[in-house]
Amino acid sequence: MRFWTILCCLVLLLVGSTVYAADKDTLVVSVSSDIHTLDPGVSSDNYDWRQIYPCYDRLVKYKVENGKGSTEVEPMAAESWTVSPDGLTWTFKIRKGITFDDGTALNAEAVRYSLDRTLAIAKGPADNIGAIATMKAVDDYTLQITLKNPYGPFLQTLATDGASIVNPKVASHAVDKDLAQAFLAEHVDGSGPFKVVEWTRGQRCVLEAKPKYWGGAPKLKKVIIRFMSESADRRMALEQGDVDIAENILIDQIPALEKNKDIVVNRYPSQMVEYVYVNCQNTKLSDARVRQALSYAVDYKGIIDHVLQGNGVQMRGPIPEGMWGHRDDVFQYTRDVAKAKELLKAAGAEKLELTLIYSERRATWEQIALIMQANLADIGVKLNLELMSNPTLRDKIDKADFELCLGAWSPDFADPYMFMNFWFDSKNAGLPGNRSFYKNDKVDELVRKSATLSDVAERKKLYSEAQDIIMKDAPYIFLYQIQTIVPLRKNVKGYVFNPMLESMYNFEAISKE
Amino acid sequence: MRILAYIFRRLLAAIPVLVGVSILTFLISHAIPGDPARLIVGPKASKEAVESIRKEHGLDKPLPVQYVRYMAGLVTGDLGQSIRNHRPVTRDLADYFPATFELTLASLVLCLAVGIPLGILAAVRRNRLADHVARVVSVVGVSTPVFWLGLMLLLLFYRHLSWLPGSGRLDVTSAPPADITGLYVLDALLAGDWALLREAASHLILPAFCLSYVYLAVITRIVRSSMIAVLGQDYIVTARANGLSAARVVLKHAFKNSLIPTVTITGLSLGELLGGAILTETIFAWPGMGKYVVDSVNSLDFPAIMGFTLVASAAYVAINLGVDVIYAFLNPRIRY
Repeated sequence: MRFWTILCCLVLLLVGSTVYAADKDTLVVSVSSDIHTLDPGVSSDNYDWRQIYPCYDRLVKYKVENGKGSTEVEPMAAESWTVSPDGLTWTFKIRKGITFDDGTALNAEAVRYSLDRTLAIAKGPADNIGAIATMKAVDDYTLQITLKNPYGPFLQTLATDGASIVNPKVASHAVDKDLAQAFLAEHVDGSGPFKVVEWTRGQRCVLEAKPKYWGGAPKLKKVIIRFMSESADRRMALEQGDVDIAENILIDQIPALEKNKDIVVNRYPSQMVEYVYVNCQNTKLSDARVRQALSYAVDYKGIIDHVLQGNGVQMRGPIPEGMWGHRDDVFQYTRDVAKAKELLKAAGAEKLELTLIYSERRATWEQIALIMQANLADIGVKLNLELMSNPTLRDKIDKADFELCLGAWSPDFADPYMFMNFWFDSKNAGLPGNRSFYKNDKVDELVRKSATLSDVAERKKLYSEAQDIIMKDAPYIFLYQIQTIVPLRKNVKGYVFNPMLESMYNFEAISKE
Repeated sequence: MRILAYIFRRLLAAIPVLVGVSILTFLISHAIPGDPARLIVGPKASKEAVESIRKEHGLDKPLPVQYVRYMAGLVTGDLGQSIRNHRPVTRDLADYFPATFELTLASLVLCLAVGIPLGILAAVRRNRLADHVARVVSVVGVSTPVFWLGLMLLLLFYRHLSWLPGSGRLDVTSAPPADITGLYVLDALLAGDWALLREAASHLILPAFCLSYVYLAVITRIVRSSMIAVLGQDYIVTARANGLSAARVVLKHAFKNSLIPTVTITGLSLGELLGGAILTETIFAWPGMGKYVVDSVNSLDFPAIMGFTLVASAAYVAINLGVDVIYAFLNPRIRY
């Protein structure tokens, strides 16, 4: 009995503990996934970039225009730049007066060291800046970069996380020639507005503002990133006021949040698209008419209205709205059962049986797969559904061992190259981008040419021509462009969504009332 | 002395068990189709980038070579480096295991503190109100899905009543105590930080209750049935006839003799709990082993999967050994 009395007293003592919400100087963001690494030269994951990005400067940054995030870039650590007429040599004037925390100056050598380090590590981020051939510090604050070939999106790639400028002194932390990877995996050493002061695995990461940041002191003093894997949990914490921003809330929980007076639910058109890879190498799908029939069979509107509850728009062409090169007049498939049947008949593929593979990466995919199964049944195609783990799915895609596969894509840098060259250039066949194993010599020629030019108008023309061919060849079923939903507490001000910075926040400009 | 010899023999026998487990886990985890190198560099990376990672982690070597390399490291206490986050797996386990251990201990205390008295009461008052209540509690416990229970607990006690804190080991704004044992309650106590102690303990209540509920139900039922069997024995009748008080008969004479099945079940539950409870950990954002291992499997992080399995197996072996030793103390007729 005595034991019980003690236990009850203990519980009573603990119950009713006041929960302290963070003060006005501290922003708390609840997110679904822990960080893997803090090294900008290593990570290819937006969830890592969320913490890395505000801790470093880059040569250029995305513009904010009228309170809206833009896909265009403007100077950051680079004051200005020039490019040679052949598009091969870029000369950057570095802004003077930027220093790292230990006082080391951010100069041409620091930028050269950082880009060189990312290239030498040769992981995901290196591919984005892979166009660089050589670099030379002309003087302390002038850096000359020579490219292997003229590369249209080059400037945009310098705004990516892998182009973050690291303090060259980190070299002293290198172990076994690892280029300080072990050190930077758990520490940051940049000149950005914030620095990581605590990372308790599985729990939280704390960023502290630098009041002397050259671009102006951040309004917040501290940002706490809280890892909570369950959507309902994040939602409760947001409603309770324990967190200020909650990301990745499941769509079906959004209407309830919208009714809460203390919470604002913002919706932004993102650059994240979802589509179906149609394996063009597969004998059943090598005829363009069969692929067109599949594109005609899908009920795009039904999927967007019911599965996404309206939080998306049907794709028109491969380049999403908001990215230059997008065309409002390019052909768009809409559901037309009669036309689809006609095409299948003409192709002699009336008794078709296909398998759609997908993973649990998105909560919505199961429903979409089921809708597609019903849609294709309407045109006489039997669709089998196969759910598998994400690593297995990726393996199958890379080996072209599938017929149809549900997928998602978001660009790493703001250039239609991320869609047109990655998805359609036959050199990128497999997981890197051309996941439908599509090969059209004319398209190859157009997109490759466009990539080497720097004149946007000219590039647009080439991409535009390629889009017409692609829509006829239907190597993918272009489903929709997602809206990103960001619910935040009403007192959070200054948040700007940038479609290029999915899951990343402009902490330096955010404040709390 | 004989018991010490027995423990030593059992520890020796554990070595082939662990080697067997390591081989099986190694084979099974490598049989999952998928390329860990590709998972590290990201889907958009070029084939060259994938190749260089494969080489860096020795994934290009034949499986037997990879296994022998791994085991060679293991002998020196090196569990390898995680493919996912490039950290030594031992450091990862040292980060995640204490959270699981703390939650397990709290659940176990709750389980036994509630389950045993409830089971005894149900046996003594068989087919009366107490028994019916215990039955309902058990059936509800066994049949309630953990994810539902967890969310409901949070919704009621955190969101609506605000009696208890939400998920996580501490409040959002609190930094963890200095790392001594990794058990926050204990570390806060050692640091003499009473506010943090209270916070850490209050954060334990809901997940521990959620996790213990299923096991509590099982323990209640086991205690009840073994108590009923013992209470029908002749020596209990004799004890009663000799005029011993009911409490003395039940708690001293009957209970100790009914403990063996309870200890067995508790041991098994403990082993299971130490492996991490993925659902409870997910709902309560508890950074434990369950979540860690699921993430490792999803990214085909072989060293992490191996490290976890070996630690979990070793824990199982140790707990079973502990249970066997306790048998001998409970029943002197059991000799080794």
